[in-house]
Amino acid sequence: MQNTAPTNPTGQRPAGGSTRRAKPEVPAQFKAEPIEKLDQAALIRILGEPGSEPATLFRKAIACKRLAVIGTKEAVPALAALLGDDRASDYARDALESMPDPSADDALRAALPKLKGLLLIGVINSLRRRRDLKAVEPLGKLVDGADAAVARAAALAVGEISGPVAAKTLQRALGTTKGAVRADVAAGALLCADRMMAEDRKGALALFDVLSQADIPSNVRMAAMHLRIVAETSLKRPRTAPGPK
Amino acid sequence: MTTAGVIAAAPMIVPSSVLGQRAGAVPPSDRIAIAGIGIGGRGMASVNAILSYQDARFAAICDVKNTRREEIKGLVDKRYQNNDCMMYAYQEEVLARADIDAVIIATPEYWHAPLSVQAAYAGKDVYCEKPCSMTIQESRALADAFRRTGRVYQAGTQRRNGPNFVWAIEAARTGKLGKLQTVHANVGTYAMWPPIPSKDWLPGEPEPPKQVFDWDRWLGPCPWRPYNPFYVTGGGGWNNWYDFHGGGILEWGSHTVDLCQWAADCDDTHAIEYVPKGANGAPYSVNCVYPNGVKLVMRDGNNLGTRLADDGWLGMGSCSVRFEGDTGWVETGDGGRIAVSDNLRSQVPERIDDRLTLHYHWRDFIDCIKTRSQTRANADHACNSHITSHAAFIAFELGRKLTWDPAKEEFVNDAEANRMRSRAVRKPWAI
Repeated sequence: MQNTAPTNPTGQRPAGGSTRRAKPEVPAQFKAEPIEKLDQAALIRILGEPGSEPATLFRKAIACKRLAVIGTKEAVPALAALLGDDRASDYARDALESMPDPSADDALRAALPKLKGLLLIGVINSLRRRRDLKAVEPLGKLVDGADAAVARAAALAVGEISGPVAAKTLQRALGTTKGAVRADVAAGALLCADRMMAEDRKGALALFDVLSQADIPSNVRMAAMHLRIVAETSLKRPRTAPGPK
Repeated sequence: MTTAGVIAAAPMIVPSSVLGQRAGAVPPSDRIAIAGIGIGGRGMASVNAILSYQDARFAAICDVKNTRREEIKGLVDKRYQNNDCMMYAYQEEVLARADIDAVIIATPEYWHAPLSVQAAYAGKDVYCEKPCSMTIQESRALADAFRRTGRVYQAGTQRRNGPNFVWAIEAARTGKLGKLQTVHANVGTYAMWPPIPSKDWLPGEPEPPKQVFDWDRWLGPCPWRPYNPFYVTGGGGWNNWYDFHGGGILEWGSHTVDLCQWAADCDDTHAIEYVPKGANGAPYSVNCVYPNGVKLVMRDGNNLGTRLADDGWLGMGSCSVRFEGDTGWVETGDGGRIAVSDNLRSQVPERIDDRLTLHYHWRDFIDCIKTRSQTRANADHACNSHITSHAAFIAFELGRKLTWDPAKEEFVNDAEANRMRSRAVRKPWAI
């Protein structure tokens, strides 16, 4: 995780390219342009190609990148089939996350009971990104599951999706979870309350109050108190002029 | 036209106010404890700045390279004459330390937003090198995280505290140029940083042992690809690869578009129209319009020979900007020189020394940590200027004019462009 680009004494990168190294030659099997020019039908065929060697993964990766921009619901089954592939799943998720068609939500939700561990977390995170309301219930069940990493991802996803059902789910989970899972349930509730503010100010403030209690991890507690103060002092708060005397 | 501010060969003296010495001796327990995440050549400038301050201390280093961790620890411990600098391979460990107040993030840019957001929710203040995000969605998530947590954020867009840039911006904002018409932002040279990075891969090579270099953690939020040492070794090897780098527009635009937004009084919004010109790997520009009617010209590089039109652009070094009003203009860039129209000649300072720009920027951050105030390059400003750069990137990649709705943060009537506002983040990471 380090940035080793050279700098001058003022901390600025050099304007010229004198220190740059020449990019190595890219072998033909790792060139993206021919794949990017294909139509959707050809891209879908690539997703079904057998093999897991890097050259095949590369073809699927570029096909998914292109489908992320142009893909329609016809591409969903082939993309969903990759959600269980350790290396290709993130590329498939990229295409599904950006797809406007609701069949992408359906495919991601359908994958929840079929996957475990990191692959499941990836799908949870995609449902979080799409803020799929229908996913709140199945994700809520995962918050109570045995896999702590999955439970934490699910809690944050429920919070990001937000809404009254999400708020109830997380408030309940605050009473049933412990340790790192509970910390992320609280963090999820913070996201949930913040997103609720526009439609349900009263509900959001109530959730901030819950999160301001002493048993909530301090980072979330302080953020909740901060947002509570901002809400109460913002010019956007409900204000009523006094009536005539 | 006149040019001012050529720096004399005088020694650089850092004022005591910048070094945090005005408060007198600061007990170690009261000094702001800062941890570094991913400190390479760029981050070293910031580490050296921190080491010179009386009211801050560099407390820990986190890096996926064991040699880099040890190198930084050696440097820090030597400076402080102790053995206190802690080393970590993973950010979760350093973010869990309650005694760490703030972090400096100097990883490759695809880590910037996820790490900043993670740090904010962990209760840390953040100084993060630019570019601050890889997508429009990440930009919004960044601003939301700091708004929600109330943490202090300073983007590494140090030119916001560069005296010559500040002088030019003040000229634009105080009417010295008349009514502001057009702002120009120097973005990355097409030869060094083409606007659209390559989606190709390099062939895989055997990964180093994880305890020496953790390729999986280095990739972090990026989708997996085979290890190749070119990506990770010195000289910015990750630049110009689509998954790792935002391209030339973002490379310098994160500085110069950011300055233009400030000059145009548009820190709280984004450009609404984007017209790309040129081709990838050739001279290019993106012509934009802000909601208040001010035009923004993103133009590649410093070289006059690459400009697409003879429009007065002087090309005054890296990260140069030019602001044009109906009665005057000003242009400046790295190095401190300022060029102005004849009518402003008498108002140009004789000399602008920009060598302390980074210190001014760090002082702004440290003072805001103490006062819980907003920095000059706070998360909202960074979010908004990055959204303008990302939108220009999308227009350039699609090769067509785009219209942007700043309130809805979506392109108008362009489904493909809207689908390019975000990218999936590799499991288990999220933002």
